[in-house]
Amino acid sequence: MSSAILRIEGVTKTFVGRGAPVGALARTDFTIERGEFVTLVGPSGCGKSTLLNLVSGLIAPSEGVIWYESRRVTGVNRQIGYVTQQDNLFPWRTLRDNVAFPLELAGVPLRARRSEADRWIRRVGLEGFENAYPYELSGGMRQRANIIRTLIYEPPIILMDEPFGPLDAQTRISLQALLLSIWESQRSTVLFVTHDLTEAIGLADRVALMSARPGRMVRVDTVKIPRPRDIFFIHQNPEFRELHDNIWKELAAQIHDIPKQY
Amino acid sequence: MTFPSNTERPLNGKRARLKARLAPRLRIFAASSFGINVGRVIFASVFLGVWQFGANRFFDPFFFGTPLAVFKQLLMELTNVEFYHDLGVTTAEMAAGFGIGASSGIVLGVLLARWTYIASVVDPFLLALNSIPRIALAPMLIVWFGIDMASKVFLGATLVFFITFFNTIAGIRSVEPALCDVARVQGATDWQIFTKVMLPSASSWIMTGIKMSLPFALVGVIIGEFLVSSHGLGYRLNAYSTSYNTVGALSMIIIMMILMMMLTAVVERLEARIMRWRPARNLGPIARP
Repeated sequence: MSSAILRIEGVTKTFVGRGAPVGALARTDFTIERGEFVTLVGPSGCGKSTLLNLVSGLIAPSEGVIWYESRRVTGVNRQIGYVTQQDNLFPWRTLRDNVAFPLELAGVPLRARRSEADRWIRRVGLEGFENAYPYELSGGMRQRANIIRTLIYEPPIILMDEPFGPLDAQTRISLQALLLSIWESQRSTVLFVTHDLTEAIGLADRVALMSARPGRMVRVDTVKIPRPRDIFFIHQNPEFRELHDNIWKELAAQIHDIPKQY
Repeated sequence: MTFPSNTERPLNGKRARLKARLAPRLRIFAASSFGINVGRVIFASVFLGVWQFGANRFFDPFFFGTPLAVFKQLLMELTNVEFYHDLGVTTAEMAAGFGIGASSGIVLGVLLARWTYIASVVDPFLLALNSIPRIALAPMLIVWFGIDMASKVFLGATLVFFITFFNTIAGIRSVEPALCDVARVQGATDWQIFTKVMLPSASSWIMTGIKMSLPFALVGVIIGEFLVSSHGLGYRLNAYSTSYNTVGALSMIIIMMILMMMLTAVVERLEARIMRWRPARNLGPIARP
């Protein structure tokens, strides 16, 4: 048996709303190896987030099966962490208690979970804000909190849905570097959705490109840039440039296709 | 037609200079808390002055009393044992009515927010119940609960109940689904989602219900006391007004007003404590870092 941790087999998703059914995801097959960092890119509305929702178990596929190791994903489970685009911190909890929340759910005693939360808070440079409420934090700080509250309980698979999307360019790149350094020491499996091709290539072992809706996998590229990578200067790397050009041509074609649908 | 604006009107030099000198000081004065308090003292003095000196000139103090007479009456009440007894009765009725109404409103609101089927079944009936003018219910409550404290307690409770109930339901229904999803993904059970996400999220609504319903506890109790009673502030007010003692009646109204203001202040402090995770309101946009 291979070391696949996640297998997506023949999965489709069609939403039935008030009008005609909308195909969000065309038949998709995909396998992710243990410890791999995979990024998903594609034009907006192509079903990237739908795919993450399916993998997380929040919604059920219309057809097909998703396997986590040898178990079928039928509902939400704690093995699969999910970092959403909106930070969705609990506004009534302090930063520390937001980060410690998953441990609280698991019944970790107060002291242990607080000190663990503080450790993570220090690691992402938020020390001094432990007792701040979310409204007192900036967008970048909230997003850091959003990420570490998933990392803290160490789910084997972490799904990330454009976690740096709403941030400004500088905050974004520093958080990318932070994420990479944490991931390189932790080596959990990451499935990361983004619409930013630079981010996708810079972070990933493999980049999967999806088509316009209904989304399907168009191509999957392996990124051979050695780690640890310097995300700040990745754009100077010739391998990066070549890959960026190749994927960009395809992505641009996909984006061009969108207006024709209307 | 056109109005002459300030800039067009020719000002003679002396007045213009004076105005220019005073204007910024006036602005500072009006923005300071000292300035606002001065304004309030002036406002109250004018009101009390017109009331005091207008008596016998513009209106008959038989109907309106005078501030001095009301003040004397208040002093008399405050040295009267019976007054304290009546105050105690009304406060106890109000506390019990509020406690019963608010706690049952919150508990039932929480339960019905969870049991959506039962909620949709009873929804129109609750609406119908809430449409009964509560004062019309008062005579029945006296028949059911007697002429003692119980009937007043329940009249207050019915008023309080619906306000807290509807607020609690609305609060739980307005919980952000994304927050529940986050908790579920992180491994929360249904019960944990309920206690750790839905209840805290609804707390601001519940708090608003409590704040809104508090005055109605007093309203219910006083109406009950008006109808039949032998004790309480409402009884005392009724006794004064039916004997045309306007000064006595006004003094009771002032007592009730002060009682309500004190209770509201307590609830607001409580709210500020519980809700400190919310950005402070009522502050200008620049007052917050």
